[in-house]
Amino acid sequence: MRILKTFLLVVLFINIANANTDIKDKNLNNKILKNIRCLVCQGQSVYDSESEFSSTIKLLVKKKINEGKSEKQIYEFLRKRYGDWVIFEPELNKNTYILWILPLLLFLLGGAIIRKKLK
Amino acid sequence: MLASQIGYYSLILGLIFSFTLSFFATKDLTSPSKKIDQNIIVLSFLQFFFVVVSFLCLIFSFVNSDFSNETVFNNSHTTKPLFYKISGTWGNHEGSLLLWLLVLTLFIFLFIIKSINQPKKYRISTLLFQQIIIIGFFLFVLVTSNPFIYVFPVPNEGLGLNPILQDPALAIHPPILYLGYVGSSIIFSAALAAVIQNYINSEWAKHIKKWVLISWIFLSIGIMLGSIWAYYELGWGGFWFWDPVENVSLMPWLTLTALLHCILVLERRLLLTSWVVILSIASFTLSMCGTFLVRSGILNSVHTFANDPARGIFILIFLFILIFLSLGIFFIFHKEQYKDNKNFFWLSKETSILLNNWFMMYFLSVVLIGTVYPIFLDVISSDKISVGPPFYHKLIIPFLVPFLIFMVFGSRLKWIKSEISNKNLLIIFFTISITISFLVTKNFQVDLFLYTILIGTSLFLFFTTTVEFFNKKKILSQTVAHFGFSLFILSILLNSITSSEVSTNMKVGERYNYEGGEIFFKKIEEKKEKNFNSIVGHFKITDNRGDIFNLKPELRVYNQPIIITSEADIKTTLLKDNFLVMNTVKGNEYFNIRYQVKPFMLWIWISVLLISLGGMISFLRAKNEK
Repeated sequence: MRILKTFLLVVLFINIANANTDIKDKNLNNKILKNIRCLVCQGQSVYDSESEFSSTIKLLVKKKINEGKSEKQIYEFLRKRYGDWVIFEPELNKNTYILWILPLLLFLLGGAIIRKKLK
Repeated sequence: MLASQIGYYSLILGLIFSFTLSFFATKDLTSPSKKIDQNIIVLSFLQFFFVVVSFLCLIFSFVNSDFSNETVFNNSHTTKPLFYKISGTWGNHEGSLLLWLLVLTLFIFLFIIKSINQPKKYRISTLLFQQIIIIGFFLFVLVTSNPFIYVFPVPNEGLGLNPILQDPALAIHPPILYLGYVGSSIIFSAALAAVIQNYINSEWAKHIKKWVLISWIFLSIGIMLGSIWAYYELGWGGFWFWDPVENVSLMPWLTLTALLHCILVLERRLLLTSWVVILSIASFTLSMCGTFLVRSGILNSVHTFANDPARGIFILIFLFILIFLSLGIFFIFHKEQYKDNKNFFWLSKETSILLNNWFMMYFLSVVLIGTVYPIFLDVISSDKISVGPPFYHKLIIPFLVPFLIFMVFGSRLKWIKSEISNKNLLIIFFTISITISFLVTKNFQVDLFLYTILIGTSLFLFFTTTVEFFNKKKILSQTVAHFGFSLFILSILLNSITSSEVSTNMKVGERYNYEGGEIFFKKIEEKKEKNFNSIVGHFKITDNRGDIFNLKPELRVYNQPIIITSEADIKTTLLKDNFLVMNTVKGNEYFNIRYQVKPFMLWIWISVLLISLGGMISFLRAKNEK
């Protein structure tokens, strides 16, 4: 089983190396991998890690891109499977409204205070 | 064994001296004499001296590999090189807290002997506030994190130091960073003392500015060292990951930077008194928060080496006491002696400093909320979310554009009322910057509009500050620091759009052709060192321009604890870094190779040094002014 797996891995890698994939595809691939957390590491992305978990995810993302899935769909798939923790970019939903909006509100508040000072 | 005993009792003595010192200081506060009681200075020295003794004892135990000491047993090993035995002293929870204490007592001693020209009551009040912090830390060390616990029976061998910490940059990173963190404690104590003594004025601003600069310089360099370490040691080729622990060091840096600017307004125009006090309190509180978040283990990060809830709770309670104390003092004692509605003219230096503070606080709020929010969400709803680089990039990068433009204008303005001179020159510079930026950016596959503007505005600042060097009336410190900042942003942007990388699996003897050239895996060689065995890969890289160079990344298998690390080999030149790292692929003869070309890497570090140099120039000038 293990031999089979490594064999598959090697074949795939050689394929990746040889295939003349579109640069855009590759960029997208890297961008997505950088945005996925390696769940078995300490604060590393899948892109930066060589763990078994990361290798599996790398293959999975590759496959999904080839299937023509969009970036969003891939994240959606991973979120369903591993929870929100797995994606570095927090989604805008009821859990994260405060997270995304509070800094901007504070910025506006600061602007208002300064405006008052200048008058 | 003996050293541990001496170390432990010195700590207790130090604590006793702190209480005595507080007693004498309180007594002296009401005495009519104009001079500080000599006992206070002696006691302050003794307090520092005994912490030094204690710290030396711990170093001594580490150097001698005295495994009857639990801290040494947990974090050292006989086969470690001497250098890492010593740096192991602060490469763990207990030792690093002892280092905190060391710096706390050192700084208050320096403060007392260096502030002779300041009013006596203010000096003593500062000392008293500092004693609250010091006693808190003494208790923290003695009660929850005693570095001198005795192990029986004495083990023959220690458990070793985490190999990724066995690194020269990381050996000096904590002490430098702590000088910055802990330096902010003096600012905190001094601000509270000045509030109580009604001493928030330009005299005070002039005097505290030096302490702000000291903290700020050390913090800047400390953060940079950590970043350099992450760059070559973690093996990912990145230098900033928006990891919670990195964020935590950035937060006090942002408040200190804001403080550094607005203290000038206080000095010159006696404005913004409350704001200066708030920033002073916030800087230290955020440093403490950092310690809490890192030490309590609630963060998922590469830095968390202690996961003990008792310690977290202790710091948390202590932190709350300090926050309530400082806010209480602020609201009860702080009076706006000078009408703050003395008006700000819209085009003046003080307004531009307000704008600086505005952006600094925004960046702070992004970093703070991004770091803390997931923890709150987890507590409230047990939903785990990650807040990573894309969040910070989205919220910070667009704001850099107005920030850089304000920087161009702000630094050219005069106090009170000013106008913009050389308008035409500025317009020409701006046009040139945007044009160059556009011509560069369009060659790369990135968001053309965003990057043109970003690189354009940083070039704009770059050109205008460069010209400023030839201005006779320039403020050198400011010009150097702002020039450094423009170079910093510029290097990061150019680095991010021009970096390229290849990742592949290779075995010995193979050649791999990529778009930019060829990688040849010549051979592997095994090496034995005292504390690790390593496999060195020999690679020859020929790029399309005909440059040939050899890179030798390593895989190290450390003996104690048994951990495999991969050491990147980096060839640094003025214009670019060539970065090669290899990893094993499980169960076969292939190695995973990642080769990166990273232009302008060196300039990121140089620009941080320039920014810090600006601070140093300002410090020297402030020192010679009196």
